[in-house]
Amino acid sequence: MASRAETSPPHGVRLARKHHLLVRVSHWLNVLLLAGLIVSGISIYWASPIYRHSPDPQTGNTDYFADAGLWLCAHVPLMHGYVSPPDWIYNHFSLGPYMLAAAMRLHWCCAYLFMLNGVMYLAGLWLGGEWRSLLPRASDGRGALIMAKYYLSAPFALLSRRRRVPPQFNSKYNPLQRMAYFSIPIAGWLSVVTGWAIHKPMQLSWLAALLGGFDRARVWHFWLMCLFITFVVPHVILVFADGWDTVRSMITGWSKRSETRGQSHEP
Amino acid sequence: MSPDENDAQSKPAKVSPARSESRGVFPERRPEIIEVTPQDVRRWTRRDFLTFGAGAVVALGVAASQLPPSTLQRLGLKFWPRNQWLLNKAQRVDDDVAELLYSSNRLVPTHTKSQITPLRNNYNGATPDPGYIPGWRLTLDGLSSGLTAALDIRNLLNRFQIHDQITRLVCVEGWSAIAWWSGLRFENLLQAYPPDSQAKWAFIESSVNLDPNGNTDPYYVSLDLLTARHPQTLLATHYNGQPLTVEHGAPLRLIAPMKFGLKNIKAITRITYVKDEPKDYWAERGYSRYDGI
Repeated sequence: MASRAETSPPHGVRLARKHHLLVRVSHWLNVLLLAGLIVSGISIYWASPIYRHSPDPQTGNTDYFADAGLWLCAHVPLMHGYVSPPDWIYNHFSLGPYMLAAAMRLHWCCAYLFMLNGVMYLAGLWLGGEWRSLLPRASDGRGALIMAKYYLSAPFALLSRRRRVPPQFNSKYNPLQRMAYFSIPIAGWLSVVTGWAIHKPMQLSWLAALLGGFDRARVWHFWLMCLFITFVVPHVILVFADGWDTVRSMITGWSKRSETRGQSHEP
Repeated sequence: MSPDENDAQSKPAKVSPARSESRGVFPERRPEIIEVTPQDVRRWTRRDFLTFGAGAVVALGVAASQLPPSTLQRLGLKFWPRNQWLLNKAQRVDDDVAELLYSSNRLVPTHTKSQITPLRNNYNGATPDPGYIPGWRLTLDGLSSGLTAALDIRNLLNRFQIHDQITRLVCVEGWSAIAWWSGLRFENLLQAYPPDSQAKWAFIESSVNLDPNGNTDPYYVSLDLLTARHPQTLLATHYNGQPLTVEHGAPLRLIAPMKFGLKNIKAITRITYVKDEPKDYWAERGYSRYDGI
């Protein structure tokens, strides 16, 4: 490396190492695995939905998803001809109803790979020393508020064409990022724990009991999925808002922002 | 490290004014800075994008080949190669894990009468006509004696000790119910009518089961004898202190709370002890064969 630096022309490119190879691989595998887990998980949820209302006097429906399908088919153009409006959401956003066996196989397959992937991610964090950048700090509460304010006011700034300087933090991630990247792996771990509690409620009955019983463990598992979805939406929006360097660094592992220690302002 | 790198690190003034931050107990380290030629950057970028892109294509291809046929059809991938090896493997791994977790010494939690919840009749399709009950017999086959035995319900109730048990029945669909069952232990039946010494499985059948249209659709499950010998595996005759109704599998049903509800076969008419794993109604329809929970 030293020899390359010596022989390189005066206008070389400075790169900051950002993500270990194992972190990058596990990040992209997670995209696929989480998608598989969410899709098959919703299909499993539909075999016995938790959140239901009293039967609708007109349609007899008890299910919010079916209501949404009915509404879509009634109000959105080009969908009026759909044969079974209550099943619209089911048939378009997942594996569909009456496919429980297939959904469960897919869920177990993704779940085992997700657990292995989690181990790979932790190994990458350790080998690359990146775990230090994820640890919460005492000043993070205030910093996260500053960042949240900056992000939330972004649409207004865009409309009024105001140029803004993002808040600067002398660390790899800003406090809001650190909070998100620290808590999401914990949520992943909790999903695994709640998943085992509802997968083996008899052999691991102590685990189900710890989570408030079989039924409550199902609810926890469901809301953890919702948490992943609410993380992914701003994560993807902000990564594109932040720019190409951030996306590229999750593939190549380095950032051209060596002056700011590879810091990005977004996701 | 090249002199340039040290130089970069000794110039904190270049970092734009940053807010004061606490550093924490394990302060983060400065990232490694390398200086390379633009050609190298382009070469590395191209290499990494091609590698990750190829990986993504392979992963998506494998994932798509594992999707259920009807989903592929819905997505318009009619001629996409179908290969379920990964899902089948995952199911086998999961069954092996379930078998490893099982212990004949571990009892499932029991409940009190105040915790009992309503139990729904989840007969797949139609509930059979109760006409079969008066002439009902339990036939046992695959016994060490080489004979078959036919027992009526009075015979079973008089010969065996009846045990009460309030346990949770968990359906594969995700709902569950705490119910009060009474019946004889499967283990006691196995002692009274020992199976063939080679036998490892019980093949349990109900000839009275109906399909959703009301046509005869015999139901059958496989049960490993290890589970059959568990002290909480009952051949239940009573529900809520009353003889079983048709909805709950009169006059004799299986209660194995360490298995999903679908293994808890209703209205048993025949038990055959066999050496090799027998077929299972729902396993043939894509569900687990072991169904241990």
